Amino acid sequence: MNNNKNILIIGGGPAGLEAAIQLQKLNYNIILIEKSDHLGGHLAEWDRLFPDGVKTKEILDKLVNNLVGVKYFLNTEIDSINLLNGSYNAILSNGITILAKAVLIASGFDLFKAERKQEYGYGVYNHVISNADLESYFKDGKDQRVVKNPRRVGFVHCVGSRDEKVGNIHCSKVCCVTAVKQACEIKEKFPDAEVFCFYIDLRMFGRGYEDLYLKAQQKYGIRFIRGRVSEVAENIKNELIIKAEDTLSGKPIQVTLDLLVLMSGMMNSKSGLELGEMLSLNKKEDGFFECKSSIYSQQFSNKKGIFYAGTCTGPKTLPDTFHEARSAAMEINTYMNESNKE
Amino acid sequence: MNERILHDYNDFVLPFLIGFVFILTYLFIGLVRIIYHIPPEDRRKLLRSFINPRILLLNFKDITHDCLLHIKIYKRNLLLGYMHFSIAFGWFMLIIIGHIEVLLYAPKSTGWQHLYYPIFFRYFLEQSGHTTLRGAFFFFLMDFFLLMVLVGIGLAIFKRVKSLAFGMRRTTHASFADTIVLYCLWAIFPLRLLAEGFTAGISGGSFLTKPVNYIFASFLGNDLNIMPTWWAYSISLGLFFLALPFSRYMHIPTEPLLIILRNAGLKAKKIRKGFSEAEIYSCPSCGLCIDACPMNVQIKNLKLSSVYYMRFLRCHNHQKTQRIANACLMCGKCVEICPVGIDSCAIKVVERGTMNNSVQYDYNYLQDGKINLLSLLETQNSNEIKPLLEKEITQDIKIANKDFSSKNRGKVIFFAGCMTHITPIIIQSMKKIFAKAGIDYIFADANGGICCGRPLLLAGKLDAAKELIKKNTELFKESGATTLLVSCPICYKIFKEEYKLDNIVILHHTEYINKLINDNRLQVRKNDDTLVYHDPCDLGRGSNIYEEPRNILLKIGNLKKAEKEGKESICCGGSLGSLSLNRGDRVKITQKSLQALTYCKPDKVITACPLCKKTFAEQSEDIPIMDLAEIVANNLI
Amino acid sequence: MTNFGFKLVTSSRVNLDKFDKEKFDKLLKIEPDIRICMACGACTATCSAGKFTETSLRKAILLLQNGDEKGAVNKLIGCMLCGKCTIVCPRSINTRNLINNILKIYSK
Repeated sequence: MNNNKNILIIGGGPAGLEAAIQLQKLNYNIILIEKSDHLGGHLAEWDRLFPDGVKTKEILDKLVNNLVGVKYFLNTEIDSINLLNGSYNAILSNGITILAKAVLIASGFDLFKAERKQEYGYGVYNHVISNADLESYFKDGKDQRVVKNPRRVGFVHCVGSRDEKVGNIHCSKVCCVTAVKQACEIKEKFPDAEVFCFYIDLRMFGRGYEDLYLKAQQKYGIRFIRGRVSEVAENIKNELIIKAEDTLSGKPIQVTLDLLVLMSGMMNSKSGLELGEMLSLNKKEDGFFECKSSIYSQQFSNKKGIFYAGTCTGPKTLPDTFHEARSAAMEINTYMNESNKE
Repeated sequence: MNERILHDYNDFVLPFLIGFVFILTYLFIGLVRIIYHIPPEDRRKLLRSFINPRILLLNFKDITHDCLLHIKIYKRNLLLGYMHFSIAFGWFMLIIIGHIEVLLYAPKSTGWQHLYYPIFFRYFLEQSGHTTLRGAFFFFLMDFFLLMVLVGIGLAIFKRVKSLAFGMRRTTHASFADTIVLYCLWAIFPLRLLAEGFTAGISGGSFLTKPVNYIFASFLGNDLNIMPTWWAYSISLGLFFLALPFSRYMHIPTEPLLIILRNAGLKAKKIRKGFSEAEIYSCPSCGLCIDACPMNVQIKNLKLSSVYYMRFLRCHNHQKTQRIANACLMCGKCVEICPVGIDSCAIKVVERGTMNNSVQYDYNYLQDGKINLLSLLETQNSNEIKPLLEKEITQDIKIANKDFSSKNRGKVIFFAGCMTHITPIIIQSMKKIFAKAGIDYIFADANGGICCGRPLLLAGKLDAAKELIKKNTELFKESGATTLLVSCPICYKIFKEEYKLDNIVILHHTEYINKLINDNRLQVRKNDDTLVYHDPCDLGRGSNIYEEPRNILLKIGNLKKAEKEGKESICCGGSLGSLSLNRGDRVKITQKSLQALTYCKPDKVITACPLCKKTFAEQSEDIPIMDLAEIVANNLI
Repeated sequence: MTNFGFKLVTSSRVNLDKFDKEKFDKLLKIEPDIRICMACGACTATCSAGKFTETSLRKAILLLQNGDEKGAVNKLIGCMLCGKCTIVCPRSINTRNLINNILKIYSK
């Protein structure tokens, strides 16, 4: 009965895929578009997930395998989209036109470009990498910048988040727990390394996160230093010299590291923002889209028939993304049924 | 020509006389005050300048160029320049020729008559018989210059209506005294024309006054209307002089004094007295600085421009002057543009000094043995430095420094400065350049150094700055290096102006790299990128370095012009010169400046100051902002 | 009361009851952003003077809010006004203006 009803899902990351799977079960005609050449979004680039170290491959495989019956187009973006008789008429970059009553925006996030924090030397010094670079390294072990058996590794929290100077005053929520996770993983790989985490506040809000923090201190002896790194310099041996203040003891602190990992924060994706312009979607000061109600109806946008799921409305964890995807699927189903009656 | 003197006095000269005597007294007292408040050593400088023929010649040239011919204003806008020139020069010639006329035709005049005869010549002297050639010549000259002034007055009235035609987007509001003087000024010459027109029948005239005479003779009884016009003329003059000291037009008598003081090398030492007073009264309130000030990007900050600073200083409004003095970015554009050459930034620094110089500070830590050159250096020549560093911090350090310094004669000492440490890519780039060109260098503040002292100086904390200057000078001299290379124009300016580094040559990295390329020690490859160069305030206007960076960039890409560059380059907004400007205001300034740089859509924007680089990069989404060292290092062959 | 022989020791405890609101309000009028400091320590970390002597705006703000005016001033008198702290502050506080005004209002 629903087979002739089109739903357009923009974004082939976890939010888009899960929503597609759920809506497919309800027999809608799903068209999913993804701008890159693979499904899975950022998830496809990561190695393991917090707090328990579940391999991303497991989750990704589950998603892709359950995607039977869903039409998807890779390397495709929206050229133009507008309202036409109560439905959305979208012209895709591959030339295909789609008329869909409901559109789900799952365009996701972009990572903050770490080179914008010039004082940290990303792209300048040889041994400064980002959290995304480290995940890639854990996945395939290939990154020239990560030395074999580093003596000392540092993590800088809040890079591009909580920072008015780069225009992002919001907190990206998940980088703290990611940093702790990655710090533990570094210790697993290089047991002799000393690991330091330079944080401002340690946001371990979720279930199992506090345990992860405890493990980091107890099992791996990771040092947590409360102080924002102000600048990074390099010595002759290409080692990195970090300047921070240990605010808890109230003294400036200096340490020489072999590897520095910058925890880049989340921002609304560029393609998402372009889509938002085309559809006049409201966004808030932090750049993410504004939901109809931040408490009760996070899946609704300010436009009828346009729904949100995933990080396009703000930083969130993977479990939250899946909740939102399923919730959006249900809301879309209700919406389709109601408009059917009209 | 004119032989008989009709009368030697009439009551109508009284308003003029009163006004004139008043203004002369006022000017005299003002002059005495200014000289009195000039510090003794500056007074000696002034006296010496009177016997220095070069300075005397300079004074004559400047006074003629600026006060009479208004060359600077011509360069700004032709119409504006002509307007000022015609009024100033025309009136000046009327006075001179009037005096010559009196000398020639009324040699027996005495006392007070010397004052008013030249002004009211056509009333007191009548023509008898025919006009001689010499007489006609004088009539012609007077009428010609009267016409010149009248054209100028006409332009001035037009400017009130359409200032944009004169190249001025925004202008200042006139005060009550300003308006009175302005209207009197506008009235004086038409009234003179009328008055002389009426008397042209008796006293003679030329191409301007004679026709007026004919017109009036045909429908107005000539005799009856002589007096009211001469009264009106005299009153307008008298009122002009009476109101002059309270208006912006005080710049007319004060500007020559300012030129003399300035050419003698005097600078502002007090906020309101002495040299500054000459500057304050020389400000013609023209408002050119309003358009120049980078803060004008927001309407609410228009009242922070230098012209208002001068005004508030003049009427002793300390609250407002302190506010402006604290906000100023010290970019120097208003000083550059000022047609009178007033250095308002110097007065603002003096005012900051009154607020901040006495604020508590404690730099005793500079005197510790802890800070010596070796502890700050990068241990790159570890074979040389390590054993020296391991010595106890005692007398040995002095000996160690001496060893070290003798090994370093002829070397380049690279001082990055506070700001370059925040943009480490400049340091990396300089290292690459040093390596490629085979330069033996010492990185002075590799482990962090002492600030050069300029931010303290700009904040008015002269005594505090002196301590930093002293310590840094010691360190540089100890190092034995003969070239001091800096990557930051802020440091460069203070090293050149306030430090006494004797035999050490101070170079900014743009000068240095330009020299390396010209000496063929460095080669760069050219590509197709369009580049735009931003002149940092302290490097361009502050240190007159405009060509070297451009020479380098021409060899690397296609250099295009920015909307405003060179002497008129717009401040990036990040300046340490401002004490009180907040982030929101600065971001707006940065965005406007960036707009002017990128209107031709370049591939890259190049600058030569780490603070400009950081400030622009924060607001530039698509176009990369690079330092000159960066782009050179990226394109080395 | 029995005298047990214990001496009264001046407590090192911070007593917020002794806070001088008048002076602080004066400071607030000039630099209200002192309120939004999140004590991240970036200013102290980058401080030019902090290399040689204990200079810390973060500490000074903390001490000021805890009523230790003398201590706060001591943490700022070594400041060279170089401006690095203003550049790294994530809350974009005008740190140089704040330092200058704290010294003006609170030092003798």
